[in-house]
Amino acid sequence: MERIEERQGLLSALPVLILLGAIFLAPLLVVAGFAFMPPKVFHLAHLPSFENFRIFFDQGYHAPLLRSLGMAGAATVLLFVLCYPLAYGMAKIFGRFSLAITLAVVATLFVSENIRLFGWVLTLMKGGMLPGHLEAWTGLEMDGLLYNLPIIVLGLTYAYFPFMLFPLVQGISMVPDDLRLAASDLGASRLRIFLEIDLPLAMPGIVVGSLLTFVLAAGAMAESKLLGGQAVIVMADEIETAFTYGQNWPLGSALALILILIVGGLAILALSKIDLDGIMGRRS
Amino acid sequence: MIDRRTMLKGSAGLAAAGMLGIPSFSRAERSDELNILCWEGYNTDEVLDPFRAMHPGAKVRAESGTSDPDMINKLRAGETKVWDLINVNQPWAQNQLYPEGLIKPLDKARFEPFFETLLPEFRGPYPLALDKSGKQLIGIVQRFGPFSFVVNTGKISRAMAEDQGYKLFLDPGMKERYGVLTYDNWNIIHMCMVADLNPFEALNDPQFAKFDTAAKAIFGGAKLLTDDLVAMNTALINGEIDAYFTGGTYTASPARYDGQSQVRGITPKSGPAGGKGGVVWVEVTSAVNNPDPSPLASDFLAYVQGPEASKKVAFTEGTYNPVAQMGSKDVLDLFDKDELDAIQWDSLNEEMARSADYQIVASYDRLSDIYNAARRAR
Repeated sequence: MERIEERQGLLSALPVLILLGAIFLAPLLVVAGFAFMPPKVFHLAHLPSFENFRIFFDQGYHAPLLRSLGMAGAATVLLFVLCYPLAYGMAKIFGRFSLAITLAVVATLFVSENIRLFGWVLTLMKGGMLPGHLEAWTGLEMDGLLYNLPIIVLGLTYAYFPFMLFPLVQGISMVPDDLRLAASDLGASRLRIFLEIDLPLAMPGIVVGSLLTFVLAAGAMAESKLLGGQAVIVMADEIETAFTYGQNWPLGSALALILILIVGGLAILALSKIDLDGIMGRRS
Repeated sequence: MIDRRTMLKGSAGLAAAGMLGIPSFSRAERSDELNILCWEGYNTDEVLDPFRAMHPGAKVRAESGTSDPDMINKLRAGETKVWDLINVNQPWAQNQLYPEGLIKPLDKARFEPFFETLLPEFRGPYPLALDKSGKQLIGIVQRFGPFSFVVNTGKISRAMAEDQGYKLFLDPGMKERYGVLTYDNWNIIHMCMVADLNPFEALNDPQFAKFDTAAKAIFGGAKLLTDDLVAMNTALINGEIDAYFTGGTYTASPARYDGQSQVRGITPKSGPAGGKGGVVWVEVTSAVNNPDPSPLASDFLAYVQGPEASKKVAFTEGTYNPVAQMGSKDVLDLFDKDELDAIQWDSLNEEMARSADYQIVASYDRLSDIYNAARRAR
């Protein structure tokens, strides 16, 4: 009886599985296929080759990869530090005011990321809102604040703020207040409560938030292009160059595949460590 | 929607098919549709609407690409079924699109009369609008522009920039005072010029080493890199930089038309490309080798060369550019003083004389690797 039910489940899921396979998996498989084609071909009908991966190591592509991962890591840590107190307030203290904050943060997502980043460009460029005002008030000549590495990390932190905040709120709200009170009654210090109760119990939210921001930031390009003036070249930029100006689809595919494997591997590893059902509220 | 015109056409077609005994299920031409893949400008309603009015009932659609390779990728990925016209810069049609069967020849007899309306350098007809044998017409020319670099003439005089050419960017005083506009295919050409190499000839190892040094020097001294010409002009106007590598009338014109006439495209007086230091791009619009072609494609190419349409193509939103059709007085008279100033009409002739055609870069693959490695190491 149970086996029939299982089969029914599979059958009902089949249309969605086929749809997902066609629109989600198929393009990834094409990319994976091209990654093993010789450089500069436009069809998959060639003998497989590892040439693109040799190029990856020979021509220093590990540098943009490490930069992308490094900046994504830095932005993730910064976001955690910035979002945690706010998320704690939203989950435990602010009450109905949390809704106002939620709406305010979500509203920023209604405007395209590029336009919001242009807003930052106008704010930070030479003679822009911030340096321009400072110049007018102090009389000192101010340079623009754009076109360097820290500004790219700032851009990433800004762009992916909601993706860290909301999972954190969800995670922190899962920490029972009684437990914290009990620990306090038994003489635990604030730090100890934070380290041994808050952090471990909010971990699913922390992992999901960190994962979302890290994965998005590792593939981000707009921040480095618009704010950073490409002070450093990121991996997504190299992938775009290979596909367009380089007219080298196999190299672009290989670079994309390497990024997907690293980020995907991290995601699977992280997700295997937490109880996703818990954060989704399906714990029975 | 079926209107009276297409209905009549359809019934006439049916009658003819019946008389000739052609099976009626044979494929009809897509006379009610035209899809154009182009650089920005051709896709505006200003340019398209008059053509739509001439062909009521036809669905005329144009989509702009962000680079030549982007658009060519679409055809290579099988979209020859979708597009009827493709508008890219001059080296691609003759060297890649036509040999690969992605575009097809035009009816030379129909377009020959238009050659008379073109500026003298395009009247020949223009060699890169023909196939390699020189027999087939594979595209029509319209927008063009010298492309080398751009300076703020308030900081660097035009005469000095033209004399120094690309060496300007190697001056230690220029460190962190210029930007690199990352139109990569252009930068590779101009970095060859920085290294005194002719980009359109095959290069050897010592020459690659010189290119490497030049690329590293240019990237190393740049304050910013961007592929956004508005951001670059803004940095030039607000004093963040004094010049940018590479650029020309295409990139300087929006700022100039906005009253910032200190932003000026510069064509060096001399250089290593057969004695020339500038490079000129010319857009070639070709008929895509669509298996189910639209007869409107060729009509559009004729329409767009008329005086009104030519002016609109030159001055639509985005960037402003001279058009080859300015060889006709009817077209030239449509431009006012500010518009001519925006496209640097005053120096266009001499700049064209100092510019080589944008061609396929013989050693592009190797140079592209060196270029990208230098950019990566920045």
